[in-house]
Amino acid sequence: MSKYGVSITELKEEKYLVDALREMGYRPEVHHEAVPMNSYYAEQEAKQANIIIRRHELRGACGDIGFARQPDGRLTLIADELDAYHGYGEKWLGCVQQLYKEKQTLAMARARGYTLKKREVIQTKEGQQVRLQFAVRR
Amino acid sequence: MQDQTITITIDEQGHSTLDLEGFAGRTCEKVFDDFRGGDRLSNERKKPAYFTGQQVQQEKSQR
Repeated sequence: MSKYGVSITELKEEKYLVDALREMGYRPEVHHEAVPMNSYYAEQEAKQANIIIRRHELRGACGDIGFARQPDGRLTLIADELDAYHGYGEKWLGCVQQLYKEKQTLAMARARGYTLKKREVIQTKEGQQVRLQFAVRR
Repeated sequence: MQDQTITITIDEQGHSTLDLEGFAGRTCEKVFDDFRGGDRLSNERKKPAYFTGQQVQQEKSQR
Protein backbone atom coordinates (compact mmCIF):
# COMPACT_ATOMS: atom_id res chain seq x y z
CA MET A 1 0.00 0.00 0.00
CA SER A 2 1.40 3.36 -0.84
CA LYS A 3 -1.05 6.09 0.00
CA TYR A 4 -4.31 6.57 1.79
CA GLY A 5 -6.60 9.59 1.97
CA VAL A 6 -10.06 10.68 3.01
CA SER A 7 -11.89 13.34 0.98
CA ILE A 8 -14.97 15.41 1.65
CA THR A 9 -17.18 15.39 -1.44
CA GLU A 10 -18.09 18.80 -2.79
CA LEU A 11 -20.88 19.09 -5.35
CA LYS A 12 -19.43 21.15 -8.18
CA GLU A 13 -20.24 19.45 -11.46
CA GLU A 14 -23.83 19.99 -12.52
CA LYS A 15 -23.91 17.01 -14.90
CA TYR A 16 -23.20 14.40 -12.21
CA LEU A 17 -25.57 16.05 -9.73
CA VAL A 18 -28.40 16.00 -12.29
CA ASP A 19 -27.58 12.36 -13.19
CA ALA A 20 -27.65 11.43 -9.49
CA LEU A 21 -31.02 13.09 -8.94
CA ARG A 22 -32.43 11.38 -12.05
CA GLU A 23 -31.22 8.03 -10.77
CA MET A 24 -33.16 8.74 -7.57
CA GLY A 25 -36.28 9.10 -9.71
CA TYR A 26 -36.58 12.90 -9.89
CA ARG A 27 -36.85 15.14 -12.93
CA PRO A 28 -34.72 18.12 -11.88
CA GLU A 29 -35.01 21.45 -13.64
CA VAL A 30 -31.70 22.98 -14.64
CA HIS A 31 -31.35 26.77 -14.91
CA HIS A 32 -28.24 28.64 -15.95
CA GLU A 33 -29.47 31.61 -13.91
CA ALA A 34 -31.00 30.82 -10.51
CA VAL A 35 -34.80 30.95 -10.43
CA PRO A 36 -37.24 31.23 -7.51
CA MET A 37 -38.27 28.16 -5.57
CA ASN A 38 -41.67 27.48 -4.08
CA SER A 39 -41.39 27.30 -0.35
CA TYR A 40 -43.59 26.94 2.70
CA TYR A 41 -42.01 30.16 3.88
CA ALA A 42 -42.04 31.77 0.44
CA GLU A 43 -43.65 34.95 1.68
CA GLN A 44 -41.03 35.49 4.36
CA GLU A 45 -37.92 34.41 2.50
CA ALA A 46 -37.52 34.10 -1.27
CA LYS A 47 -35.08 31.36 -2.21
CA GLN A 48 -33.48 30.74 -5.57
CA ALA A 49 -31.61 27.79 -7.04
CA ASN A 50 -30.07 26.56 -10.30
CA ILE A 51 -31.15 22.94 -10.02
CA ILE A 52 -34.65 22.40 -8.67
CA ILE A 53 -36.81 19.43 -7.80
CA ARG A 54 -40.39 20.61 -7.56
CA ARG A 55 -42.45 19.81 -4.51
CA HIS A 56 -44.94 17.61 -6.39
CA GLU A 57 -42.08 15.12 -6.94
CA LEU A 58 -41.05 15.14 -3.29
CA ARG A 59 -43.39 13.06 -1.21
CA GLY A 60 -44.33 14.83 2.01
CA ALA A 61 -42.15 17.89 1.38
CA CYS A 62 -43.22 21.41 2.29
CA GLY A 63 -41.41 23.07 -0.57
CA ASP A 64 -39.15 22.60 -3.57
CA ILE A 65 -35.60 21.42 -3.01
CA GLY A 66 -32.81 23.01 -4.95
CA PHE A 67 -29.09 23.40 -5.37
CA ALA A 68 -27.67 26.88 -5.82
CA ARG A 69 -24.36 27.72 -7.45
CA GLN A 70 -22.07 29.57 -5.03
CA PRO A 71 -19.35 32.08 -6.01
CA ASP A 72 -16.70 29.42 -5.27
CA GLY A 73 -18.32 27.02 -7.76
CA ARG A 74 -19.96 24.67 -5.26
CA LEU A 75 -23.61 23.68 -5.55
CA THR A 76 -25.23 23.85 -2.12
CA LEU A 77 -28.55 22.46 -0.95
CA ILE A 78 -31.41 24.91 -0.55
CA ALA A 79 -34.45 23.51 1.24
CA ASP A 80 -37.01 24.33 3.87
CA GLU A 81 -35.72 23.49 7.33
CA LEU A 82 -38.95 21.60 7.97
CA ASP A 83 -38.16 19.20 5.14
CA ALA A 84 -35.20 17.83 7.07
CA TYR A 85 -37.87 16.17 9.21
CA HIS A 86 -39.73 14.88 6.15
CA GLY A 87 -36.93 12.69 4.82
CA TYR A 88 -34.94 15.36 3.01
CA GLY A 89 -32.22 16.02 5.54
CA GLU A 90 -28.65 14.84 5.93
CA LYS A 91 -29.39 11.24 5.00
CA TRP A 92 -31.09 12.25 1.76
CA LEU A 93 -28.24 14.62 0.89
CA GLY A 94 -25.76 11.84 1.67
CA CYS A 95 -27.51 9.60 -0.83
CA VAL A 96 -27.29 12.36 -3.48
CA GLN A 97 -23.60 12.90 -2.73
CA GLN A 98 -22.83 9.18 -2.84
CA LEU A 99 -24.41 8.80 -6.29
CA TYR A 100 -22.71 12.00 -7.44
CA LYS A 101 -19.28 10.80 -6.29
CA GLU A 102 -19.70 7.40 -7.92
CA LYS A 103 -20.75 8.91 -11.25
CA GLN A 104 -17.96 11.48 -11.15
CA THR A 105 -15.36 8.83 -10.28
CA LEU A 106 -16.46 6.41 -13.01
CA ALA A 107 -16.45 9.15 -15.66
CA MET A 108 -13.02 10.43 -14.62
CA ALA A 109 -11.58 6.91 -14.55
CA ARG A 110 -12.92 6.14 -18.04
CA ALA A 111 -11.55 9.41 -19.41
CA ARG A 112 -8.07 8.89 -17.91
CA GLY A 113 -7.66 5.24 -18.85
CA TYR A 114 -8.27 3.41 -15.57
CA THR A 115 -10.12 0.09 -15.75
CA LEU A 116 -12.94 -0.74 -13.35
CA LYS A 117 -12.20 -4.19 -11.90
CA LYS A 118 -14.91 -4.49 -9.30
CA ARG A 119 -17.92 -2.70 -7.79
CA GLU A 120 -19.24 -3.76 -4.41
CA VAL A 121 -22.05 -2.48 -2.21
CA ILE A 122 -21.25 -2.91 1.47
CA GLN A 123 -23.91 -2.75 4.14
CA THR A 124 -22.71 -1.13 7.38
CA LYS A 125 -24.43 0.02 10.57
CA GLU A 126 -24.33 3.58 9.28
CA GLY A 127 -25.69 2.72 5.84
CA GLN A 128 -24.66 1.53 2.42
CA GLN A 129 -21.16 2.08 1.12
CA VAL A 130 -19.99 1.68 -2.46
CA ARG A 131 -16.53 0.30 -3.14
CA LEU A 132 -14.93 0.67 -6.56
CA GLN A 133 -11.67 -0.99 -7.50
CA PHE A 134 -9.64 0.16 -10.49
CA ALA A 135 -6.47 -0.95 -12.21
CA VAL A 136 -4.09 1.08 -14.31
CA ARG A 137 -4.51 0.21 -17.98
CA ARG A 138 -1.20 -0.95 -19.45
CA MET B 1 6.20 -6.32 -9.56
CA GLN B 2 3.27 -5.62 -7.24
CA ASP B 3 -0.10 -5.03 -8.92
CA GLN B 4 -1.22 -1.43 -8.95
CA THR B 5 -4.75 -1.06 -7.68
CA ILE B 6 -6.89 1.88 -6.64
CA THR B 7 -9.75 1.31 -4.22
CA ILE B 8 -12.24 4.06 -3.53
CA THR B 9 -14.90 3.59 -0.88
CA ILE B 10 -17.78 6.05 -0.91
CA ASP B 11 -19.63 6.18 2.38
CA GLU B 12 -23.31 6.88 3.08
CA GLN B 13 -22.57 10.62 3.25
CA GLY B 14 -20.86 10.57 -0.12
CA HIS B 15 -17.39 11.12 1.31
CA SER B 16 -14.64 8.91 0.01
CA THR B 17 -11.64 6.97 1.19
CA LEU B 18 -8.93 6.42 -1.36
CA ASP B 19 -6.45 3.58 -1.02
CA LEU B 20 -3.59 3.17 -3.49
CA GLU B 21 -1.61 -0.03 -3.61
CA GLY B 22 1.62 -0.68 -5.45
CA PHE B 23 2.36 2.94 -6.36
CA ALA B 24 5.33 5.06 -5.44
CA GLY B 25 6.55 8.64 -5.70
CA ARG B 26 5.28 10.90 -8.47
CA THR B 27 3.01 8.27 -10.06
CA CYS B 28 1.33 7.82 -6.71
CA GLU B 29 0.67 11.56 -6.43
CA LYS B 30 -0.75 11.75 -9.95
CA VAL B 31 -3.15 8.85 -9.43
CA PHE B 32 -4.14 10.25 -6.04
CA ASP B 33 -4.95 13.66 -7.56
CA ASP B 34 -6.91 12.04 -10.42
CA PHE B 35 -9.20 10.22 -8.00
CA ARG B 36 -9.49 12.98 -5.45
CA GLY B 37 -10.96 15.25 -8.13
CA GLY B 38 -11.72 18.68 -6.74
CA ASP B 39 -12.69 17.35 -3.34
CA ARG B 40 -11.32 18.66 -0.08
CA LEU B 41 -8.86 16.34 1.60
CA SER B 42 -9.50 15.72 5.29
CA ASN B 43 -6.79 13.15 5.95
CA GLU B 44 -3.78 11.90 4.02
CA ARG B 45 -1.19 9.26 4.89
CA LYS B 46 1.78 7.96 2.91
CA LYS B 47 2.61 4.27 3.33
CA PRO B 48 6.14 2.80 3.56
CA ALA B 49 5.98 1.57 -0.06
CA TYR B 50 5.59 5.17 -1.21
CA PHE B 51 9.02 6.09 0.17
CA THR B 52 10.65 2.79 -0.77
CA GLY B 53 9.68 3.32 -4.39
CA GLN B 54 10.89 6.89 -4.33
CA GLN B 55 14.26 5.82 -2.93
CA VAL B 56 14.69 3.29 -5.75
CA GLN B 57 13.83 5.96 -8.32
CA GLN B 58 16.37 8.39 -6.81
CA GLU B 59 19.09 5.75 -6.76
CA LYS B 60 18.49 5.00 -10.43
CA SER B 61 18.65 8.68 -11.41
CA GLN B 62 21.97 9.12 -9.54
CA ARG B 63 23.64 6.38 -11.60
